[in-house]
Amino acid sequence: MQEYLRLDDICKTYDRTAAVDRLTLSVPKGSIYGIIGPNGAGKTTTIRMIMDIIAPDSGTIMIDGEKVTSDFRNRVGYLPEERGLYKKMTLAEVITYLAEIKGCGRAEVAGEIDGWLRKMSLAEYKGGKVEELSKGMQQKLQFITTLIHKPDLIILDELFSGLDPLNIELIKGILLEEKRKGTTILFSTHVMEQAEKLCDYICLINRGQKVLDGRLSDIKAKFGTNSIQVDIDGDGTFARDIPGVDNLTEFNNYIELKLAPGADNQAILKEIASRVLVRRFELMEPSLYDIFIEVTRIDPKELKGD
Amino acid sequence: MRKMWIVIKREYAQVVKKKSFLIGIILTPLFLIAITALPAFLATKKSSSTEHIAIIDLDQQGIGEKFKESLVRYKLDDNETPAYQVTDIHELDPADTTKITELRKTLDSLILDGQLKSYLVIYGGVEQNDSAFQVAKSFSFRTSSRFERRLSNIVSGIRLKKMNIGVSTDSVLNVTRGINLKQQAPGGKERDFMTMYLSGIVFVMIIFMTAIGYGQILMRSVIEEKNSRIIEVLVSSISPFQLMAGKVVGLGLASLTQVAIWFLIGGVIYAFRASLDISADISGVIFNPIFIIYFLLFLVLGYLMYSTLFALIGSIVNSDKEAQNFIFPIIISLMLPLVLAMYIVQEPDSTLAVVLSLIPFFTPTMMILRINFIGVEVFNFSNPIIFEATLGVILTALTTLAVIWITGRIFRIGILMYGKRPTLPELLKWTRY
Repeated sequence: MQEYLRLDDICKTYDRTAAVDRLTLSVPKGSIYGIIGPNGAGKTTTIRMIMDIIAPDSGTIMIDGEKVTSDFRNRVGYLPEERGLYKKMTLAEVITYLAEIKGCGRAEVAGEIDGWLRKMSLAEYKGGKVEELSKGMQQKLQFITTLIHKPDLIILDELFSGLDPLNIELIKGILLEEKRKGTTILFSTHVMEQAEKLCDYICLINRGQKVLDGRLSDIKAKFGTNSIQVDIDGDGTFARDIPGVDNLTEFNNYIELKLAPGADNQAILKEIASRVLVRRFELMEPSLYDIFIEVTRIDPKELKGD
Repeated sequence: MRKMWIVIKREYAQVVKKKSFLIGIILTPLFLIAITALPAFLATKKSSSTEHIAIIDLDQQGIGEKFKESLVRYKLDDNETPAYQVTDIHELDPADTTKITELRKTLDSLILDGQLKSYLVIYGGVEQNDSAFQVAKSFSFRTSSRFERRLSNIVSGIRLKKMNIGVSTDSVLNVTRGINLKQQAPGGKERDFMTMYLSGIVFVMIIFMTAIGYGQILMRSVIEEKNSRIIEVLVSSISPFQLMAGKVVGLGLASLTQVAIWFLIGGVIYAFRASLDISADISGVIFNPIFIIYFLLFLVLGYLMYSTLFALIGSIVNSDKEAQNFIFPIIISLMLPLVLAMYIVQEPDSTLAVVLSLIPFFTPTMMILRINFIGVEVFNFSNPIIFEATLGVILTALTTLAVIWITGRIFRIGILMYGKRPTLPELLKWTRY
């Protein structure tokens, strides 16, 4: 595993509150790396420091073993958290301008535009103005402008915000394609379910501090199988009181039980089955969400606010 | 530098491609002409039809009749049709007030009907009490001054006759007629007060409108980039200072394009002036290379200084509306010379004028007004205006550099700050980061 991006002891304080507090992380080359945490955890601040938009108060950021230079800007594609483009320019003009400003030649870009617009089903709007596009289409257009100059590193802040499920799938596909080409992808999100499906590596952060980081599969293995999902007929809230059940989360048509360490899941199954009809019983890998709650001991209500 | 060039090209194209650019090129000169030349033009414009007038002569010594004869000299444009036609002369006894009141009522209604343009009332003993008046719905400055001149001459004749010194009225008028004092610059070029004043205002207006107009375009463009958050993508590609400089230069080139087109139009009009019947001689101003160099210097410096300030405002506010409060002082400092123009034109060398024109924020407009009015023929520092103008250029250039430096410091932080507007102490802190 070759390291591509490294943050060492990064700190950034705004008006006495630490937005990012001694954050250290290492992004392997060619991986998809997710910075995950609730709103206000310091994700955007971290990304802005990597992008050299704001300077850290202390700590170092290295790309490919070197300090960030202005030349690096040309090799990175950046999608900020809040999206926006020049409304009065045409799609082709916006793409060309943002690529040129990244150091691409005009001719070089011209050859790429049509393919990208087709891929994003925006081809018919090429000569139209940005303001004529719907919000979702503008997002896709901005995604093109992030990748058009063939960056080595793609940084996506709150990747999933404002995207409908179809576009999320489309963009995931493109990101996996980029990964196969060897591009390193770093993104932030507070939507843990989505992150889980995409990341190779994650870093969980909360209140500016790293909670946990590493390869996603390693983390899941470490936290073991300690929850079960049960589809039942009727009210399952009684299961909360069964010995060995730490916590119960109700979903629309199933319940999820978090078990205490060493609890016997078969005994719990029997207990539930004696009270209601069980349609499905599944031993679960812990979700990122669960891991996050467990590690931070945060009140889940705080996260639901997102 | 290559990236800055890309920004310059975009900003330039975004302005020049717009319809408003073309409209500005055409409308601005028309607007300038309208506010400068039009009033003067209208004031000297001959009326198009014969004005019917009546006279109530309470003096009863034939003044009315003499006045009627004296008006024959005034013709309309064709030089044949009389400009005035006296329809009635009513000689009345000043004691017969009822009759006078009745007659005036009749004449008043004729005026309201439009059958009569005006009527004059000449009192008895007018040569002693100087009393006469004109009644009309609206007054033309020219007609009134003509009537006044004619009546004065007639009354002078009456006075002469009463003195009994045997000198004819004509010879006295001949002796007392005024002379026409013309103005010349050292070197012999003819100068005319009104032309100098108007051309000065035109040059001030060009600087004023360039700074305000393009400054505001720049400010809005910064606000747009900030609001759409595209600024984050931009500053992840190019340094904030390069971005700001690219915007200022791009829009500056667009404004220079506009001014160049105006000069071209002006040049063409000047070349064909003979066939266009333009009386004002502006050659002394337009074709003076020293003046043109100073004008361009002040135009560019004024634009750089003010547009950078507009960029500063754009970077610290969140909306056009919020920006309005900040624009006000800028507009005032650019307007001041226009407000003071009359004074400066009368006393271009006064201490107040010199001091004001050396305050960098006023220099571009005030100095150009002074140079234009005082006139520069040779480039020589012993000429105070050359010395002051050059000093003005240096002071303004230094101030502009300071403004650019401060704005550069604040801009790079301000463009990423959303929501609450920074306070002055915060802004000062930003310049030290």
